[in-house]
Formats: sequence, C-alpha cells, structure tokens
Amino acid sequence: MKTLMNAVSRRNVLKAGGAAATMLAAPGLVRAQAPTVKIGLLQPITGAFAGDGDLARIGAEYAIKEINDAGGIKALGGARLELLIGDSRSNAEAGAQATEQLKADGASIVIGGFASGIAMTATQAAARYELPFIIDSAVSDALMTRNLKNVFRMNPSFSMAADVALKNLVTLNDAAGKPAKTVAIVHEDGLLGSGLAKLMQERLPKLGLQVIETISHPTPARDMSNVVLRLRSLQPDLIIPSHYFNEFVLFARTLQQQRVKPKAGIYALFGGAASSYKFVSEFPEAAEGVMDVNHWGDPKNPVNDKLMETVKAAGKFYAYNAPINYSVVKVAAQALEFAKSKESGAIIEALSKNEFDSGVMPYGKSKFDATGQNVNAIPLNTQVQGGQIKVIYPDQFAQSKPKFPANG
Amino acid sequence: MIGNREFLYALAFLIVIGVLAVVGLPGNILNLFIFMMIIALAAQGWNLLGGYGGLSSFGHAAFFGTGAYTTAILQTNFGFNAWVGLVCGVAFGSIVGAVIGFLSFRAGLRGSYFALITLAFAEVLRVLANSWSVTGGAAGMLVRLQNGFTYLQFSDRRYFLLILIAFVAATLFLTRWLERSAFGAYLVALRENDQAAQALGVDVFRIKMQAITLSAGVTALAGCLYVQNFLFIDANVAYGSWISIEALFAAIVGGAGTIIGPLIGSVVLLGLGELTKSFAGGIAGIDLVVFGVILVLCVAFAPNGIRGFFSDLAHKRANRMDAA
Repeated sequence: MKTLMNAVSRRNVLKAGGAAATMLAAPGLVRAQAPTVKIGLLQPITGAFAGDGDLARIGAEYAIKEINDAGGIKALGGARLELLIGDSRSNAEAGAQATEQLKADGASIVIGGFASGIAMTATQAAARYELPFIIDSAVSDALMTRNLKNVFRMNPSFSMAADVALKNLVTLNDAAGKPAKTVAIVHEDGLLGSGLAKLMQERLPKLGLQVIETISHPTPARDMSNVVLRLRSLQPDLIIPSHYFNEFVLFARTLQQQRVKPKAGIYALFGGAASSYKFVSEFPEAAEGVMDVNHWGDPKNPVNDKLMETVKAAGKFYAYNAPINYSVVKVAAQALEFAKSKESGAIIEALSKNEFDSGVMPYGKSKFDATGQNVNAIPLNTQVQGGQIKVIYPDQFAQSKPKFPANG
Repeated sequence: MIGNREFLYALAFLIVIGVLAVVGLPGNILNLFIFMMIIALAAQGWNLLGGYGGLSSFGHAAFFGTGAYTTAILQTNFGFNAWVGLVCGVAFGSIVGAVIGFLSFRAGLRGSYFALITLAFAEVLRVLANSWSVTGGAAGMLVRLQNGFTYLQFSDRRYFLLILIAFVAATLFLTRWLERSAFGAYLVALRENDQAAQALGVDVFRIKMQAITLSAGVTALAGCLYVQNFLFIDANVAYGSWISIEALFAAIVGGAGTIIGPLIGSVVLLGLGELTKSFAGGIAGIDLVVFGVILVLCVAFAPNGIRGFFSDLAHKRANRMDAA
C-alpha cells in the first residue's frame, strides 16, 4: 500500500492531469480557429413524440451540412453553423428547461417547438433573453397573440390551415358534382381535435355540407369499434377525422375491418398519420384514398427528394418534420446573413424586416408579420394514391389529380 | 433532537440556494432550482398526508391543478391581483381536498382503495378541464406576461426563486409544527394503526379531513406558483398524472414522513438527472435513465428513503462505537 502511494506521487498526478486537460481542450482549440454560430434545435427527442423529434433532427442536420459545405455564413466571415439539440421530452416544463439550456450553451437562435404546449413555454423562456425563436410546426393560434417580439412561426396557424382546408374541400366537391352532402367529424378531445371540430361545426353548414354527427374520443384510445359502428349506421358521405398518429391508424384500420367506406372518402386536417409514410407502408389498404391537409414539402423541389432519401437511409419514414425543420434552419441562416451579427437583437430585426427563401416548403417567400406569423405559409392537400402520398392541391404543387370521390 | 437538526439542515440548504441565487446563477441552473422548489412544495404537500398520515394519494394533481387553474382564471378572466389569485388558489385547492377527503373517508377508504379513488378524482377533473370553456378547454390558458410584484412575475427571476424558497421554508415550519403538535401525533397514530388510535379516542375522520385539507392547500400553492412561472397551463399539465407521481416520488425517495425528505427527494431526482444530462449531453434520455436507477436503488437499498438510509447508517455507526 505504501509503495503504491509513493508511486502515485502528487507530481505525477499533476502531470497526468495536465496532459489529460490538454488533450480534452485540444478539439476546442482547433475549433476556435473557425468562427461558429450555434443554432438550438428544440425537439422531443424522448417521450411520446420522439419519432417526430428524430425526423426534425434529420432535416435540420441536412440543412446545416448544406450551409456549411457551401461556405457557412458569409456575412460572418464564413462562420460555420453548429447544431445544439435540446430535448423537450415531449412535455412543456422540459421544453422550457431545454430552452434555458440551449441559451446557456450559447445558442444564437432556437428553432423547433413541435407541439403547441411545448412551444408555448419554450418561447416564453426564450423571451426572457430576447432569444430569437422560430417555431416549426405548432399550430395553436394563441401562440402568436402574446406580443413576444422574439417569436416567429414558419408554419401556418390552425385557422390559416382550416381556411385553406375548407376552401379546397369545397372546390374538390364542386368540381366532382357535389358527391359529399353529409359529413361526420371524429376527433380526439385535445387542442387539435376539439378546435377542429368546433370550427367545422360552425363553417361546414354554411358551405352546404351537413354535419350529421360529431364523435370525440380521448388520446390514447384503445378501441374505435363503437365509433366506427356508429358511422356505419349513419352512412356519412365524408368523414373528417383529427387524431394523432396512433389513433388515426387505429381508426383507419377499424374502418377497413368493418368495411365502412364513406363515398366521398376521408378528408383530414393535420391528420396524424395521413401524411406519414409509416402508416402508408404498414397499412397500405387502409391508407389508400385518404386525403389530408398538412405541412408538406414542395414535391417539385429536388431537395425534397434528397431529404426523403436521407430519411429513408436513416431507416425512418418521411413525414413533414424533416422538410419543415430543414427549411427553418435555412431561414435562420438567411436571417444571420441579413443581420451580419449573431446578436439576438440584430437577428430579431432581420427576421422582422426581410423576406426569406422558404427552403423546401411551398411558401414562396416567407415573410413574418407584426405578430411573427409567416403570412405566406400554406398547408398542402395530399392523397394516398397507389401507396404513395401525392400532393393533389393547389395546382402549382400538384403531382397528381385528386381522386374525389375517393370511393365513388 | 434529530428532527430539530434535520430542520436546521433543510433551512441551511435553502439559505445556501438563496445566497447562490442572489450572488448570481446561470439561467438554466436558476430554472432548475425554480422547478425543484415547485416540486419540493408539491412533495411537502403530499408528505403531510401520505408521509405522516400514511394515506398515500395517487391524485395530488387534483389539488395542484385546482390551485393552478384558480389563479390563472382569476387573473386572466377577472383581472385579479396574482397574490389574491394565489390565496384563492390555495383556498380552492383545500376545498377540493376536503370534498375528496369527505367522500373517501366517509366511505372508509384506505390503502390502495384511497390511492385509486384519488387517482380517479384527478382524472375526472382532467377530463372536465379539457372540455370546459372556462378553463380554456383543450387549448389551455395563458397568463399574460407582465412583470411586477403584484403580478408575481419578475424580469429578474431570482426574486421568484427567493419567494419560492420562502414558501418552501414556511412549509418546513409547518411540518415541524405538525411533528410537535397533538394533531401530528394523532396523524402518526392513525398511520401506524388507525383502529387502535380510534379505540384510544382519536377522532380519526376529523384528523384525516384536517390532514387532507392542509395537504391539498400546500400542493395547490405549488400549482399556483407553477402557473406564475410557466404562464401556461392546460388540462394535461394541471391534472396530468405526472405531478401526482413527481410529488409522491420526491417524498418517498427523500424519506416520507420526515421534515427534510421531500426536499432531498426533489433535489436528488431533478438535480442528478440534470447533472447527468450536462455531462452526457449527447445521449438522449440519459437523465430519465438516472431517474429510474435512483428509484430502483432506493427501493432496493433505502426503503425509508435517502434520509432514512443515512439515519440508519448513523445509527449503525453509533451502535458499533458503543459496542467497541
């Protein structure tokens, strides 16, 4: 014991410690040569929405790589972008804490949020430091009513998307000779579903569509048999569902099992699974013909195809999180170019005053209004056709003609 | 004597956090301490009923959520001062506690039946809050961002942390009083054997009612302060099972039925998780793994919580010294 103590003398320990510290510090010293700007990505990496967070990360990393490969942020001397990941753990408190952590780690701008509840507390946390925050896909209208100067939203709000969804539904229905006259609404009882049901109940009758039933269910739901049996007896022409992924899959499968095929089809707004290749590839028969109005990448943009391949190569199924987070990183990079600085105030000003290329999103030029909302954001209408998710509306993005009525 | 020393340790710990906050803490650490104190408060509330009274509730979310919603509704819909909202939140939380207690204790529910009925009440409230327009339905409620003492919101959040510390300290005093009062003795008696306590003349129903009302009030206070910090609440946050579980875990892991237990529990569970995250930042969910490991270790080696584990160690050492 005594020999060992002598061998490990204080001097030796200090030497070894010094060497270890130098080795640990070395990567930092190397990195310090090129200026970097840190972009925080706040996404649910764990918890119920972990799948969405994964896809968002793939999209954001792809954009960062593209920007860095093209020489970084030119206005900042070719500064390279570094992605910091903040895990919101799919809940609101952890979202706020992760935002604080991103700030502490030196993020100049934070993007993401994903769900409205998380975005709500995370943006609030960012507001304390006037840290610019661009929301990726949270839709609650209330998010942009708080007069927070640091908060911007890339995606359309719920009411913006609902307007488009209704307008396009009427156009589709009129063009097909009005096959849909009666509608049943099936929704989850959370923010998304309840909001949709209320809005549809108010607006559909004015558009000549009769709402014959509104059925709500909790999330998670284990069984949809009763809901589908009710629909079977009512025989609506069109079903408008609003659920998260698992419930949508359960609902669509139960419809298929019970052989309930509404004449005009299923028309979802922010349908959890209707715009997900996971659902389409796992349950192709149940998915066939389903229409959705959702965030979606511009199918005519070749980068979107590359993103799809990247997602596939990572062993995941493509959904909107990848293109939208890719695009938000692109907007953040442009804001840094305009701001010529990584200071919060300058970035916020740049975001407020300029127009931005929208990456792969079909928004044309993105422009944020006084509340921070991107006024040019629109959702796209998609339909599952032959095992592929095809954009069917608006025409300039359409890959395929709508099949409406879907089961006519 | 041990109770006294432990009370002083707890106070000293709070003073240290307070001093650190005043001297200056980075935002993420400040945020962590704020959340830690909110959970400690909820756990202290749970401890009064579950720790001292042996009435383990799985539904303290019912009180937390009621406190949170009351203060949010009073401020946003009726323009009340945040402090008045806070007092009303605590009062309403206590009333909900009394109602749940009345219904459960009249029916003679104990043990797992009591745990399940509290869980059910919290769930009923969650469903109601999710669909009622007064609580904002599924969209939840936003409290407007307005800094100022009357709004109980501060641009410098150190003040908020100091207020939280003051509330946690006040609850420590409350727990210390409870330990020394006749009421506390009755409560412990009915935890150990309520039939024996009743046979000795303890009014079991009255004591249980008082305990649940007090416990609900403290947990509702945590709910009120949660809203003032995050400024947003919805049914799943307010009445979700997460807060019932956090309150219960923090108290049990720290040491149920002790003054310092809930504080230790919340600091260890949240602090270690966060610490691991900062050291192993790249690994997703590592803090949750640590959370799980702490629980397993506690169940396996410290059934009386961390505080119990250390006092057992101290006893063993003292015995060994005596033997030598």
